[in-house]
Amino acid sequence: MYRWLDERLSLSRFNKKFLRKAFPVHHSFFLGEITMFAFITLVLTGIFLTFNYEPSSRLIKYMGRELPAAYASILYIDSLPFGAVLRSVHHWSANVMIAAAFLHMLRILISGAYKKPRELNWLLGLALLGLSVVTAFTGYSLPFDAFSVTATQIGYGIGASMPYIGEWVSQLIFGGEYPTLHSIPRVYSLHVLWFPLLLMALIGAHMLIMIKQKHTQPAYAEKVAPGKILGVPMMPQQGYMMGVLFLLYLAVVFFIGGSYIAHPVEAFGPPTASTPAVKPDWYFLWIYGILQIIPGDLKIPLPFGAAINSEFIGGVLVPGLLGIAAVLLPFLDTRRTKQRYMELPTRHPVRTSVTFALIAFLLTTSLAGWKQEFGFSNLQLWTIIIVGTLATYLASYLIIVSYWGKAPKGEAGELEEA
Amino acid sequence: MSKKTDTTRRAIVGATVGVGLGLGAISMLVPIGALKPKKEVTPETEPPKKGDVFVFAEGDKKGDEITFADLPKGGPFVLAFPKDPKTGVIKNGERNNMVLLIRLDPGELSPETAEYAADGTVAYSAICTHLGCTVSDWVADKGDLLCPCHKGIYDPRQGAKVVGGPPPRPLPALPIQTEGDKPVCAGGFTSPVGVVAGLEPQGGSCAV
Repeated sequence: MYRWLDERLSLSRFNKKFLRKAFPVHHSFFLGEITMFAFITLVLTGIFLTFNYEPSSRLIKYMGRELPAAYASILYIDSLPFGAVLRSVHHWSANVMIAAAFLHMLRILISGAYKKPRELNWLLGLALLGLSVVTAFTGYSLPFDAFSVTATQIGYGIGASMPYIGEWVSQLIFGGEYPTLHSIPRVYSLHVLWFPLLLMALIGAHMLIMIKQKHTQPAYAEKVAPGKILGVPMMPQQGYMMGVLFLLYLAVVFFIGGSYIAHPVEAFGPPTASTPAVKPDWYFLWIYGILQIIPGDLKIPLPFGAAINSEFIGGVLVPGLLGIAAVLLPFLDTRRTKQRYMELPTRHPVRTSVTFALIAFLLTTSLAGWKQEFGFSNLQLWTIIIVGTLATYLASYLIIVSYWGKAPKGEAGELEEA
Repeated sequence: MSKKTDTTRRAIVGATVGVGLGLGAISMLVPIGALKPKKEVTPETEPPKKGDVFVFAEGDKKGDEITFADLPKGGPFVLAFPKDPKTGVIKNGERNNMVLLIRLDPGELSPETAEYAADGTVAYSAICTHLGCTVSDWVADKGDLLCPCHKGIYDPRQGAKVVGGPPPRPLPALPIQTEGDKPVCAGGFTSPVGVVAGLEPQGGSCAV
C-alpha cells in the first residue's frame, strides 16, 4: 500500500523533506502548538454547534415560551447528549486559544525571535492574535441572550465611534443598527465561515514560513553544537509529543467544560429592555477598564464635523496604537545578520522591561474594570495604571541590570555577530 | 516571428486583462456599497411622534399604557416604548425608540429641562450616548441615571447632563405634554439617539 502510494506521490521525498524537520526541544515552544490544538478543537466542536444552531433572532415558540430562534436553539443544543459539554468546550477552547496565542507572542517578544528573517511571521502572528479575538467576539453575539446582546451592542458602538467610517463599518458587520433581523445571519456567516477560513489560511502561511525559515534555536543549542540545528524530527518523536499534548489538552478542556458550563444562557435569559450586569471575558477586560475611566469631555475635533471621542480612544485608539507599535517593532529593533538563536531576556533589559511593563499595563487597566466594585475614582485608577506601569519598567530594568548586567558576553547568537 | 512581436502581443494581452480586471474591481464597489443593509421603516420601527402614548418596555405590565400614577415621584424611572394611540402599534421594533420616563419635582428642573417636561415628568432616550447600552440603573441617593456598562452617569434634572463616567454628550430628551392622566409625546428627540461618532453636545435639532 505504501509502495503503491509512494510510486504515485513520491511520499519518500516528502517524508525526507518535511517529516524529518527538526523541532527544538524547549518547554516554551509548546505554546504555539497549544494554540493550534485549541483551534482544531474549536473547528470540530463548532461543526457540531452549526449543525444544531439556528441563526435567526426572529421570535419563535419553543417549549411554550416565545423566544428568539437563536436563543431557543442554544437551549436545544444544551439538551442534547453532551451538547452542553461540547458548547462549553467550544467556549473554553476559545479562551485557551487566545491565552496561548498571547503567551506564544510574549515568548517571541522576550527572546527577540521577531527579528530578521522572521519579521513576516511576527506580522502574521499578530494578525492571527487580532483575528482570534475578533472571531471570539463575533461568537459572543450568537446565543442572543441578554448578556450577548448587550456585549455585541457595545461592539457595535465601538465600531460606530470611529470618525467618518464608523457607522458604515459597524452596519456592514452587524447588519444595520444592531440588533436587527439581519444582525445574526451576518455575524454568523463571519463567525463560522469567513473568519475561520481566514484563520486557516493565515495559520497555514505561519506554518509554511516557520518550516522554511526553521525555528529559532534555544540559546543552549549554541553551546552544545554551534552552527548546527538541534532538535527532534517531526516524525516520530515530535509527532508523538504533539499527540500526547493534544490528548492532554482535550482531557483538560473536557474536564473544565464538563464541570463548568460556559455562558449559561438560561441564567442570562432572553434579551431584556434593561441592561443585565455584564462583564466581558478576561481578554477584553483591559479595554473595558480603559473605556470606563476616560472622561467623556475629552474630545478632539476633526474637520467636517467629526471628532475623536472617549469611546473611540478607549475602544479603538489605545488597542490600535499597541497594535501599531507591535507591527513596527521588528523594523525598529533590527539586526544585520540572520537570527538563529533565541536571545536571552536578561541580555536585553530594555525590551524585557517593556514586556513586563506591558503586562503591568494590561493588568492595571483590567483592574479598572472593577471600578464600581472597588469604589475607585478615575484619578486613583489612572495613578495606579501609570505608576504601576512605570514602576514595573523601572524595577525590572534595575533588577536585570544589577544582577545580569556584568554577565560574560557571547551568548544568544552574539558569537555569530562578532 | 520576431521576438519583438511576441513582446508586443504579450503587452497587449496583459493590458487587456488588466483593464478588464480593473473595471471588474471598480464595478464591485456597487455590491460592496449595498452591504450596508436597507433601513426598512415599518409602523413598529417609526420614531416617536407627537401624540404617542407610552407603554412599559418590561416587567409584569409590559405593553400597558403608562399613566402619571405609574411614575413614582422623585424616581426611579420607568423604561418605555412609544405607542401610536390610533393604530395601537407599539414602536418596539427599533431599539433606539426606547425612552426612560421619570417624574421629578418640577421645582428641581433646570429651565431648559422644564421646557420638555410636563408636570415634572421628563422623557429621555434610554440609549447611552457612550456605547449604546440601555441606561437602566437608578442611583437612589443622588437621583441620577446610571448606565451599568461603563458607569456613565446622567442628571435627569439638568437635561440628562453627563455628571460622571465616559459618555460624550447628554441623553437626547423627548418633549412631553399632558393628555388626561397620561404623559404623551410632544415632538421628536432633541438630538440624534445612540452612538454617533464625534457629535457635539448641542448637535441635532428638535424634529417634528
